[in-house]
Formats: sequence, C-alpha cells, structure tokens
Amino acid sequence: MRFEHWLYSIPLRLRSLFRRSDVEQELEEELKLHLEQKTQHYVAAGLTPGDARRSALRDMDGLELRKEECRDARRVSRLEDLIQDLRFSMRTLRKAPSFAATAVLTLALGIGANAAIFSVVNAVLLRSLPYPNSEQLFTLRSNQSLPDLEDIQKRTHSFSAIGGITVQALNFTGEGEPVQVSAGLCNADLFGALGFQTALGRVFTAEEDSYGGPALVVLTNGFWTGIFGADPAILGKTLRLSGNSYTVIGVLPREFWLPGKPVEVLASLRVVNPLAAKFRGVHFLKTYFRMRAGIPLAQANAEMQNVDQWLESQYPEEDKDFHRRLLPLRDAIVGIVRPELLVLFAAVGLVLLIACVNFASLQLARSATRQREIAIRAALGAPSGRLIRQMLTESVFLSLLGGVAGLILAGLGVRLLMTLKPAGLPRIGDTSIDAQVLGFTFAVSLLTGVVFGLVPALNTTFFGISAKLKEDARTSAGGASGHRLRKLFVVSEIAIALVLLISAGLMIRSFTILHRVDPGFRTENLLTMRVELPEARYREQPKQRQFHRELLESLNSVPGVQAALVSELPMSGDYITHNFVVEGRPRPPAGSEPEVQTRTVEGSYFRVMGIQLLAGRDFGSQDRTGSLHVAVVNRAFVAQYFPTQDPVGARVEWARSDPSDWMTIVGVVGDIKHFGPGEPEQPAVYDLYSQTAQQWKRWMYIALRGDAPPGILLSQTKQRLWAIDNQLPITQVFTMGDVLAASLDHQRFNLTLLAIFAAVALALAVVGIYGVMSYAITQRTNEIGVRVALGAQHRDVLWLILGQGLRLALLGGALGIAASLALTRYMSHLLFGISPRDPQSFIAIPIALLAVAMLACYVPARRAMRVDPIVALRYE
Amino acid sequence: MSKPSDLVQGTLDLLLLKILTLEPLNGFATSIRLKQVSGDVLQVSDGSLYPALHKLEQEGWIKAEWRPSENNRRAKFYSLTRLGRRHLEREADNWNRLSAAISQVVKMEA
Repeated sequence: MRFEHWLYSIPLRLRSLFRRSDVEQELEEELKLHLEQKTQHYVAAGLTPGDARRSALRDMDGLELRKEECRDARRVSRLEDLIQDLRFSMRTLRKAPSFAATAVLTLALGIGANAAIFSVVNAVLLRSLPYPNSEQLFTLRSNQSLPDLEDIQKRTHSFSAIGGITVQALNFTGEGEPVQVSAGLCNADLFGALGFQTALGRVFTAEEDSYGGPALVVLTNGFWTGIFGADPAILGKTLRLSGNSYTVIGVLPREFWLPGKPVEVLASLRVVNPLAAKFRGVHFLKTYFRMRAGIPLAQANAEMQNVDQWLESQYPEEDKDFHRRLLPLRDAIVGIVRPELLVLFAAVGLVLLIACVNFASLQLARSATRQREIAIRAALGAPSGRLIRQMLTESVFLSLLGGVAGLILAGLGVRLLMTLKPAGLPRIGDTSIDAQVLGFTFAVSLLTGVVFGLVPALNTTFFGISAKLKEDARTSAGGASGHRLRKLFVVSEIAIALVLLISAGLMIRSFTILHRVDPGFRTENLLTMRVELPEARYREQPKQRQFHRELLESLNSVPGVQAALVSELPMSGDYITHNFVVEGRPRPPAGSEPEVQTRTVEGSYFRVMGIQLLAGRDFGSQDRTGSLHVAVVNRAFVAQYFPTQDPVGARVEWARSDPSDWMTIVGVVGDIKHFGPGEPEQPAVYDLYSQTAQQWKRWMYIALRGDAPPGILLSQTKQRLWAIDNQLPITQVFTMGDVLAASLDHQRFNLTLLAIFAAVALALAVVGIYGVMSYAITQRTNEIGVRVALGAQHRDVLWLILGQGLRLALLGGALGIAASLALTRYMSHLLFGISPRDPQSFIAIPIALLAVAMLACYVPARRAMRVDPIVALRYE
Repeated sequence: MSKPSDLVQGTLDLLLLKILTLEPLNGFATSIRLKQVSGDVLQVSDGSLYPALHKLEQEGWIKAEWRPSENNRRAKFYSLTRLGRRHLEREADNWNRLSAAISQVVKMEA
C-alpha cells in the first residue's frame, strides 16, 4: 500500500523538483484552458465575452493564489523555497562581491584555525589509543622492576596480562658504519597486555622469556621495512646486537605503537640483561596492565594497594614510596598535555567567536542597505518567517563557503603546525584532516551560519519593517537597534581580542624570560654526541677507563679542541639519582636516605662546558684510579645539605655502598639548567669515571668545544674514535645551541600559535571597529554637515567621532581586562617567571589595543572632517 | 450563480474520485459533471478544484495525462488509479455508514 503510493508520488515529486519549468508550464496551461472553457460557458449562458471572462476569473478567486496552492499540494515547496532562496542568495551575493568575499574570508580564518587545532586535539586527545579495548589498559605512574612485576602478577587477580618494557640502545653492526638501534627489553606478557598479534611469525613465549633462554628478537614494522626492505624471508635470520646474535622470529604490525621513545626491536629482558632483570632495585620498566573484562576498577585498585603495601613492608630498601596506583593509560599519555591543548583550543574558539561577530556585523550592515527591499517584500505579503528563512539561507550558504575555504586553510595550517615540531605532544604525527575533522568543521560552519545569521535576520524583520517604509531610505540607519547591536559587537570583539592578546603577551613575556635564563654553561661552539661501550667487549672497568683515556687524549690533541666526557648531558632528558649519606651525620633508615642527581665525568668537564667553579678546586690530573676518591657538588647541593658548613673537605658516599667508598668533596660548581631552562636545578654530585665503582656506566656523552664548524668537529671525532674502536656507533649528535633551542620547542609551539591567534583576533577586531565607525559616519553625514555649517571646527568633528570610538574601545577594554583576569590563571602552567596577572602585560597591551582601535577610528574620522556642509545638506 | 454548499471536510475528495470512476475528465468537465450529477445541489468552487485535483494526484489516487479534448485542444485528463479505486471504496463505505447514521438521527421522531 505504502509502496504503491510511493510508486506514484516519488516520480511526481522528483518531476516537480527537477522539471520545475515543465510543471509550471503545465499548471499554467491547465488553468488557462479552464478559464477559456468557463468563459465559453458564461457566453453560452448569455454574458458578453468581457463579462464572461471577468466572471470566470472571479470564480477562480485569485488565480496566482490558486497556483500557489497547487504548488503546495505538490508538497516540495519547502525544498523548492530553499533552492529558490539559494539562487536568490547567489544572485544577490554576486552583486555584492566584496561583502561576500569579506564574510567568507573572515569565517574561513576562524573556521580554518579551529579545524586545524581540532585536528591536533583529535589526534592527541580524542582518538582512542591504537590498542584493542584500550580502555582496559592501565599503567603506574612510577616505573617498576621485573621482580616487582612478578610479585604484582602473583598477588593480584584483576589483570589478564602485565607487561613491562625498558628501552635501551643496542649497537647494531650490520653493514657500513655501526649504528644504534632502540631495543625494547620486555617480558612476554607485554604483547598480550597491549593486544598485538604479529604481522609475520610470532612473539616469544613465556617459556622462552626466561634466564638463559634462547636469543630471539621481534622486529617492528618500521625497522623491518627500513633496514631489511620488508624482506618476507626475514624469519630465522640472525641479527648482531651489541656483540651477540639474535634470531628473528617475528615482525610486528604497522599499528604497533608504544608511548615515549620509539622502539625498533623487541627482545626478552631476562635474556638480554639478566643482571638488571633480577635486580629488584632497578625500577626501569614502564608497565602496561590489561584488566580482565568485568572486573570493577575499585577491586583492581584495592588489590594494587595491597600489593603496594606488601612490597613496601617486604622490601623497604628497594620498594618504599612508589605509590603504586592504577592510572588509565590514556591519562598517563595525554594527561600532561591536555590542559595546554585545551588552552589553545579555547584561544582558537575565541578567534572564531570574533570572526562570527564580524560576520554578524557584516550581515547587519548589509541588511541595513536592504531594509527597503525587505520592507517592500514584507508589505507585499511575505510572511516574516519566510523572510527570515531567506536571510538564514544566505547566512548559512556563506558560512558553509567559509567552512570549505576554512578546510583548505586548515590543511595548510596542519602542515604549518607540523613544521613547528610540537615535540612534547604524543601522537601528534597522526594529525590529519579525517572524518571527525570534516564533521566538526561542517557542524561549526552550520552553527555559525544559523546562530550568527539569526541575530541580524531577527533584528531586520522584527524591529525594522514597520518603520522602514515611512523612513527615507537615506536616513534609515539600519534601525537604531541595528546600530546598537553593531556597537555591542564591537565592544565584545575588543574584549575577546584583548583576552587573546593578553594571553599571547603573557606567553611572549615568559618565553623571553625563559630565553634569557642563564643555563649555567656556555652553549656556543659546543658539540655533543653519545657513545655506548658494548658489554660484550667492555665489561671490565680497566678496559672502559683505557678507552676514556685514549679517546680524551686523542681528541684533546686536535688543535683548538677541548673535549670531556659526561654521563648525563644537560637537557638530554637523562638523569640518574642516588641515595647518599654524609660522613659524621646520623644515618637515616635504609631506603629513606636523601637523593641527589649523580653525574659522572672525565677530563676537564666544567672547563669545557663553561660551568663556573665557585669554591675549592676542579677535578685534575691528580685524581686517578686508585687515588683519593673525590667529588664536586653543585650550589643547590650546598644550599640543601651544607647551608652553614663548608662542604669542601666533607665526605659523602652512596648509601649502602659495599664496600664503603667515601668521596671527598673537593669543589663546588654553579648550578646548571639540567632539566630545561624553566626547571630548577636539583642538588647534584659529580664523580669520575676513573674512580666510580659503577662498571655498568658504559655510556658517555662527548662534549667538544672548538671553533671549527660542527661538521668538521664531528668528522674529526669520528676519525679519532674509530681509530680506537671501529665498532662503536656515534649517536645523538647535537650542538648545545640546538639542544637549548629544542628544550624550548614546546613553549615555542604554544607561543607561536597563541601569537598567531591573537594577531588574527586583533586584525578582525580592527576591521570590525573600522567598519562600524565608517558606517556610523555615513549615517551622521547630515548631522556633521549641520555642525560644520554652524561653525564646528575640524578638531571638534574629529573628537566627536574619536570620542564615540573611544567609548566603545574603553568599554570593550574594561570587559576584556576583567575577562582576562578571570581566565589567564588557567594558563599559569604555561607561564614561566611571571604571574598570570602580570601587571606589565595587563597595562601595556590594553593601551596598545586602545591605540590601534583609535587608529581604526581615525581613518573614517578624517573622512568625516572633510565633510562639505553644502554637499551634506544638499542631500536633505 | 449560487454559492456552493460548504462541503463536509474530506467529502470533496470522495466526490471527485467518484466522478472520475466513469471516465477520464479534465478539471472543467469534472466540475460540470459534479453539478449535473448532484442535480445542481453540489458545486465545487473553481478555486478549490485544482488544488484538490493536484493533491489527489500527489496521493497517487488519480493520475493525469495530456490528450486532445473535444475541440482538439491539449487538455489534462484525470483518471482513477488502482490505489484511488481502493481508497474510494473505503471512503464510500465510511460515507454510507456515516450518512445513514446521520439520517437516522435526523429522522428520529421526538
């Protein structure tokens, strides 16, 4: 029944829609024939042809109205109206190209910026992690040791798999120069926890993941493709890693991803590094807990708390104060960046708001010029709903055009964002314009068109029409309410722009402060690189020390070069801490001794780096293996542990050293910004490679100061290093200047974006205020003419206009300052060295904005000054 | 020309469908035929005729085709569809029941 109905009606409706002119013509013809027949009918009844025709027409009771009813009966009139409105909009917009272009461009800026930032937010915050059922994945804030994980696994029931992984560099001697690969040393459970199958082969089993198990390796897809050209016959081949052979048993799928440092190969921690794996005190595993389905979180948390207490009481030396609490993996990965991304998103939302206000303002100005057209249409019987719909159609049409243009801008914007290298944002590399971004853009465009088209449309139809026809076209000022609305727009634009400008200003101020921070060492002409000695050939310390000695001698013999070694370079992100005790002071209980940063050096490290010696002496040639063990401490160490006592001469040792190994403090050096320019230095103890008992410290950074260009320094170093051992890869080659700049990448990213948004906001606000003032002046031409005729000077006219602009700007400024005071505290985590209510920014920026606003008023005001009273009044 | 009696809501559809059961007619002929058949009692105004016909066509109860009329002018002829015939039967039943009930009430002796 329904179907049969559609069989008839659908072709008819399609015909009404797409063959409109045919249908119209048929209707015309049908009614015309009827009128002729009716006329003949009346003539036959004795009327004159003229009377007959009139009677026939009268019977129809309004021919056009009946036609409209017939069209209504065809029930596609709504859609037809839309098409008609669209056609009409396009026609009228073509006649106002500058209006259309300005509107589309304004919206494109606002929407494009939003789409670009949204695509970042989408990639980083919204898209789910690339693991099956990723909401079941948890982690701990603190790293764990493998024995800890084993205990947690044994004493809980909520988890189906508990994975642990540490990333370590292994030397890969394949073909050509030796290189380092980043190896994930993990347990077999890791694969189950993350929920990945292999693309090729298999992963190692729990049986194989055992002390003395077979040497197996699983490759990531990138490594397999990059090094082996995706060789399908890779399985069973062997890889030489740091002097040992590993058999390839599997390749992971392309989707495999781990937060943090990228991993190229995976192997069993128990097989590769049994010593570290067994050691409960080595908390170096990132953990991945997969919760069993249907387990309440509270139960898992309770279990975890029990294990935590058990571990603490069982192993107070190793496992105290780890605060093991389950943390959703997602929060662990994006938790830190969420607030700052939200600040950016809010900022770009404000830009859109300004763009929308400008858009509404533009439409209002335009509708003012169309008042008479609209009034006439209303008078001819167009229902106001129909008029509003027409204006809305135009507005939505423009906003969708703006959305399309915005998407193009967003595409460019995303590429720009990528070049800004927002290094700290996890998964930023996945940013793309995808379905979500398209949907978001469409929704924003539509909403913009409807909401910001409705205000002017309502204003025009409800508040305008009645009075319009009476008014003379020239003096109709778009309605007093329209003008009031535009003033309101300007005030809010200035207020919003000010919020953005102050935010950007705060960021710029804190960035310059960060930039000026003294890192505590001289960055210029300083080249650094990392070398790691493979365990297979350098297990014994005498071999390591011989290498250190030979390398430094060889490098320092290059004219103009000073070289030294250090275990942790500033801003490398690396650090090692040790618990320590001071001789002669009461020993705290085991496990709760104070912790300090530990850096092991060799050669004249402080001199090479340009770190200031504050007291005592530097390490020297007299400090050798076998001589008195010495240490140098930093100023933060002195401030915390020797505030009233001279540290030089005091003795310290690593807690629980066995055998006892006291180091005499011989000097104090200045603090350096080890963790980045914005981070405070922590107490640190420097010791010597030639004296430390830690034979596992087989890695080192070479710090080279030399006038030669970095490229030449590097090739000289390679040559000399490989003359000593040609199997050692050199990695992480950076100039210290680059390292310092990179440490500010994150701030630079946020700053650049906020600055761009603020600039766009300022430009839009200026355009807004300029538009309103120009318009106000054309409206007041008469009045100004009269004033000039009555003797007003140029200056008076100028002040009249500027005063009007100033009032708006002051009001907007005051609102903007109030809003900023309320809002900037949400960005305090992005700031360094200034308060979010930094008085300088809150005074200087509003003044600057006021000045710019005045300039935007001055241009139209000058035009007003030149109003010729004769011309102005002649129009009357 | 007397004003036509107000038709009960929905009865115009019924009348038009009924008129068109005999043979395809154009709009004017339909109104004339209605007047004749009802003995000059019922008349549909020209103003409501065409919107009503277009609505019926849209519902799929009647279909329209262009063909030459008596005086060889092209005219739009409406004819009943299968769907319309079924609708008419149902509506006619309804009407019969309703009118019988109304007459019964009206004839009731006080």
